[in-house]
Parts: sequence; structure tokens; C-alpha cells
Amino acid sequence: MIRLERVSRRFGRRPGIEAVRDVSLAVRAGEVCGIAGPNGAGKSTLLALALGFLRPTRGDVRILDERPRDFLRREAVGYVPERVQLPTRWRVGDLLRALAAARGRADVDDRAGRVLAAMGLEESVERRIGELSRGLQQRVAIAQALLDQPRVLVLDEPTEGLDPVWRLRLRAALAERRAAGAAVLLASHDLGELERSADRVVLLERGAIRSEVVPHTPGGPGRYRVRVRAGGEHLESAFGDVRAIGAHEFEVAVGDAADLSARLAAWLELGGVVDSVQPLGLEELVRPAFEGDA
Amino acid sequence: MWIWLRLELQRLLPRMLGLLAFGGIFMAAAATARLFAASDGHVEFDRLMGIGGYPLVSALLLSGWLVGRFPLVAALVLAAGVFSGDRESGFARLIAARARAPLLLFALRAALALLLAAALSALVLPAFDMLMLGRLPGPQLFALVTGYVLVFGALTVLLSTLTRGDAWIALFAGIAAVVWHALLRAGALRGGAPGPRGLLTALLPPQGALAQLETAFAADEAVPGFALLYCATYAALALVIAGVVAARREL
Repeated sequence: MIRLERVSRRFGRRPGIEAVRDVSLAVRAGEVCGIAGPNGAGKSTLLALALGFLRPTRGDVRILDERPRDFLRREAVGYVPERVQLPTRWRVGDLLRALAAARGRADVDDRAGRVLAAMGLEESVERRIGELSRGLQQRVAIAQALLDQPRVLVLDEPTEGLDPVWRLRLRAALAERRAAGAAVLLASHDLGELERSADRVVLLERGAIRSEVVPHTPGGPGRYRVRVRAGGEHLESAFGDVRAIGAHEFEVAVGDAADLSARLAAWLELGGVVDSVQPLGLEELVRPAFEGDA
Repeated sequence: MWIWLRLELQRLLPRMLGLLAFGGIFMAAAATARLFAASDGHVEFDRLMGIGGYPLVSALLLSGWLVGRFPLVAALVLAAGVFSGDRESGFARLIAARARAPLLLFALRAALALLLAAALSALVLPAFDMLMLGRLPGPQLFALVTGYVLVFGALTVLLSTLTRGDAWIALFAGIAAVVWHALLRAGALRGGAPGPRGLLTALLPPQGALAQLETAFAADEAVPGFALLYCATYAALALVIAGVVAARREL
């Protein structure tokens, strides 16, 4: 649905700064693709390129086989920018109605009312945006992105300033859009959030894709940390793909829950004594990609 | 689109109030002069001279000249940041992601800014004339207001699509145009290359045409149609270029 092909973007005159380097990425319908990376990795620039707000120096960007700006003219995209100064004197309800009206459809009040309710903004509808807390302003920004139940969502640090309850609600809203077949591009510093929301996470470093990881899904394939009391030397014969991460700690790869159980059983047969088994979190999965940089 | 018009009016309201307060200073000056030096329904300069001598007369003449720049000031103030403000705040991206025709919204806002500048000028200038001269100005005043608002409003809108500080640059261009026009009229640029000279004359605000509109107003002569047309053409070209730039530029 969203396709970036060997996209690069340079700022300033040569040599300048190459904020995005040779990035190829495709986000399918019904997929949430996370973008992670340190500050200045090029995440926001990549999202701006994906929507055609910036033009690539090299490469090509398409949304449903159209140039992004052409697509935007035809269909609204849900976009939450990392930094936006919403008009502070406007009231919340007016902002949402104005942005709903910008699509040129008649059911402005219905659509605005629906997202106001979804983001718990009914009581703030008459308040000026400048009077709202950071978290409420972020909820307004998310609400406007959900106005048209878009098929494409591009979210840049959407959980910034949100409390845990509204992080959960946002996650639920994303899951709903994903189930409806939307393609979601989600950039965040918050690896925990990406782990819970994204189907896969692209790690960006200095503008280039460093690696791509698939967060653990319960019962699905993935990597686990096994802490052992005895029999660590037999793990390799039971699991095959084993990496020692401490004296009694190992990382193993399995196909699914049944595979994990079978391999554990085989290892226990060989005299292994298990202390604990835990799926690896996204933070642990991405660490190898950045090891050696320190 | 009504909601956009209403919100834009709301956004521009503090600027409009500021402009009215600015105009109010001249009204106060004119009303005071009327109070102390009225004769036959208008301000009598001989009486002013008797009260405050040359400094008072000069101050009032300067006020008259300054209030004559009101359309220019109103156009700059109301059109300032019409595109660059949203681009700087990031709101332009939200509009681009949502609006079917972002350019139409931008055009709507620019048109409203120009219309309001003209409306405020059409309120302040006749009021000043009424107080000072005891009569309403003729149609020349409206041609003058239209010329100034179109030229400087459109120039500010164009600059807003290109850079920040649009109104300041437009003001600088206006001052440069006055100097350039004076040099041209004085024949001080006869030695220069005609190409660059002509290009700069065409790019700068059409001070010659504006001066013709001012002369017609001051001398109560017929509106110089060609000068007004020249201003309208300059503005139309600036707005077309602004539209092309706004549609194509990065956000």
C-alpha cells in the first residue's frame, strides 16, 4: 500500500546531510510497520517522504501506486506529526469540524462527533486548544487523524504525552484500523509501544535501515531467553540456534509454542534444569543491531 | 467552507482590532484638529498655524500622508504569514493530509485577508477625510485602496509561499520601489543597462501606477484606469505564481 523504493533525501548543499539513505520499505494493507531508531535517525523525514511533504533526492514513493500528493488529493490520510502547533485560539470542536469539512463531505458533525467520543474529548469540545494540556492536545491530534477512518495512517510519536490509559486506547484504535485493512506507519522512540502495536519494526540508523525485527507474538515464532540451573551445554543439541548471553542465560530461536515445548522437553531429557523461559522483548531484539556502536 | 471562513476571521480578529486602533490614532488627531480649528465644516490650516505654528501643521500633514498608507499597512498585516505561518507550525501538513483541495483553502484565506484590508481601509480613510475635509472622498479613494491592497496583499501572499518574514520583505520592496521610482523619474538611471533596469522595475511593486492613483485622488481627477489595471495585473501574476509555488513546494 505504501511503497518506498531506494529513497534518499539530502538536506542542504553538497555535501549537506543525507537524512534518509537508500531506504526501501513496503507497508501492506492491514499491517502496522514500526519505525525505531535513535534521535536524528531520519524517522520523521522518512514519514514526511512517505506522504510527499518532502520530495526524495533519489528513489520513488508510492501510495497505492500513486504519487503521495496525488493520493492525498483523492483520499485523506491519517497523519499525526511529531511536532505541530495546532491553532491555539481555535476550539477543539471547531478544529475537528474544519478538518472534517476540508474533505468536502457533508457529514461533518457526525465524523467530528465520532472521533471526539473515541478520544474522550466530548468535555473539551468548547475549550480552546491553547488551554489544553499536552496530553489532551495529543489526543486532539490523534482524533483528527482518525476523522475519515483512513486506509493509510502515518503516525509520528503518537504516544508522546499520552497517559497509560490513552496509550491503551490508541493501541485499540490502531488495532481496529489494522483489522479494517489500513496500512499504518508508526514511528516511535517507545520500543515497548512498538512491540505491542507493530507487526514488524524497521530500525533506522543515520538514515539507513539497519535491520528489521518482528516483535514476539504469544504462541508465535520468536526468540526466547532461557535461564538454566544445569545442562546449558546441551541446549545447542536441543535447540540448534543458541546464543550465550551470560553464564546461565541463553537466547534460543523457536518456530512456535509447540516447537518451544518439544525442544524444552528434549533438553530436559538430556539433564537440563530450567530456571525461567521468557520471550525476548523488542529492546533485546534490537540490541544486537546496535552492538559494536558503543 | 463556512467554518474555515469563520475560523480565519477569528484568527485575524486581533490583527483587525490592532489596525482599527492604529487608524484610531489618526482619527483622534483629525478630531482634535477639527475641535480646535474647524471652519466652514473642515479643518482650517490657518487656524492651526495660529495655534501651534509650523510644527502642528506639519504634524497634521504627516498624519494625512501616513493614514494614506493605511491600505498598504492593512494588506501587509492581514496577509502576513498566510502560508508561511502554517508551514512553520506544521499545520500546513495536517491540511495537506486531509484537504481535498489545500490550495483552495489557502486561496480562500488570502482572498479574505485582502478583502478585509480593503474593507478596513474603506472605513478608516473616508472617516479621516470626513473629519479633516468635511466631505466624503470620491471614487478615486477606492481605486487607490484597491491598488494598494491588491499590490501589497498579493506580494505578501507570494512571499509567504517562498519564505518567512513575508510582510517585512514586502514592506522593504515597497520602500525600494519608492526609491527606484524616484531615481527613474529623476533620470538618474539612464546610464544603466535597460534589461536589468526594466526587469527590476517590473518586479518591484508598481510605484508609478500607485503614484498615478494617488495623484488622481489628491487632485480629484478621474481614476486612471490603466494604472489600476496595471496594479491588478501585477497582483494577479503574483497570486498565480503564489498558487503554483504553494502547490509544488515542500511542506
